[in-house]
Amino acid sequence: MAIIKDRLVVFALLVINKAGGLIYNREFHSGLNKMSSNDYLILAGTFHGVHAITKSLSPLPRTQSANGTSASAPSPFVNRPTGLEVLESAHFRLQCFQTVTGTKFLLFTEPQQPNVDNVMKRIYELYSDYVMKNPFYTVEMPIRCEKFDRSLDAFVKVKS
Amino acid sequence: MAIYSFYIFDRHTECIYSKRWLQQPQSSSKQARPTSASTTASVEMPARKALSAADDAKLIFGTVFSLRNIVKKLGGEDDAFLSYRTGDYKLHYYETPTRMKFVMLTDTKTNNLRVVLHQIWANLYVEFVVKNPLSPVEHPGGIGVANELFEMGLESFVSSVLVS
Repeated sequence: MAIIKDRLVVFALLVINKAGGLIYNREFHSGLNKMSSNDYLILAGTFHGVHAITKSLSPLPRTQSANGTSASAPSPFVNRPTGLEVLESAHFRLQCFQTVTGTKFLLFTEPQQPNVDNVMKRIYELYSDYVMKNPFYTVEMPIRCEKFDRSLDAFVKVKS
Repeated sequence: MAIYSFYIFDRHTECIYSKRWLQQPQSSSKQARPTSASTTASVEMPARKALSAADDAKLIFGTVFSLRNIVKKLGGEDDAFLSYRTGDYKLHYYETPTRMKFVMLTDTKTNNLRVVLHQIWANLYVEFVVKNPLSPVEHPGGIGVANELFEMGLESFVSSVLVS
């Protein structure tokens, strides 16, 4: 469908490891303020902490929220509270995806961007293909994989 | 749409008003759940119960403060933090020009409540707290905020929002 494939504006992608360290940082479109690499590290650490707090702030007792999930097998992850998933501001929208191993993907897009979930899923696939399967990559360390960079570029630039 | 709680923070980072609309835990849902999942729930419960209402308010302030700073840094000074959503709840945020922060926690399907929070500030807070001759200029410990008119106005306003 042509309507769904409208243009995609992704400002930036950040990957935060499970300890809160910034392991990948990439800007695609200008639109956000320029920040130094030190500022990005601070942002990643702050977000990591805030994410943990938002997880514990849930006003509901845990038994209620899992009603909607239709898990077939009992899993320790199903009933776990999720932290911050989407942050909205006047100028951008931040989508956060946390893998079951604790790695967080932060995607900054335009405020009204549709289908960010699909984009995130595709980026996660690229990450698993070109980063996790790279034998020279050490887990939890900064990502320096040329193929990941190139495929990300191809994916984001083609869609925009 | 359901509203869980509402907080006002003054410019000295103090929580000067908080209100919770408690959700009645559904006893039927507990029975309908598979036993394996309810055991994991009972394991997680104690950690959550340890937090008091005052602790919650402090945590919410810290969260909102950090996120607001992140947003200002990334989007520029004229950017405004509006809301965030987790799997369980959504937090709406409104900051007045005097740095007062209005925060509301609702369920995840609610649309942005910035307008509602603005109305609470303009029509209720300013009318019944700021213009009250008996209330102090600042509200340390929440003195003067939780007066009868404000409480009643908030209650009726929130129920009118819930209906629409």
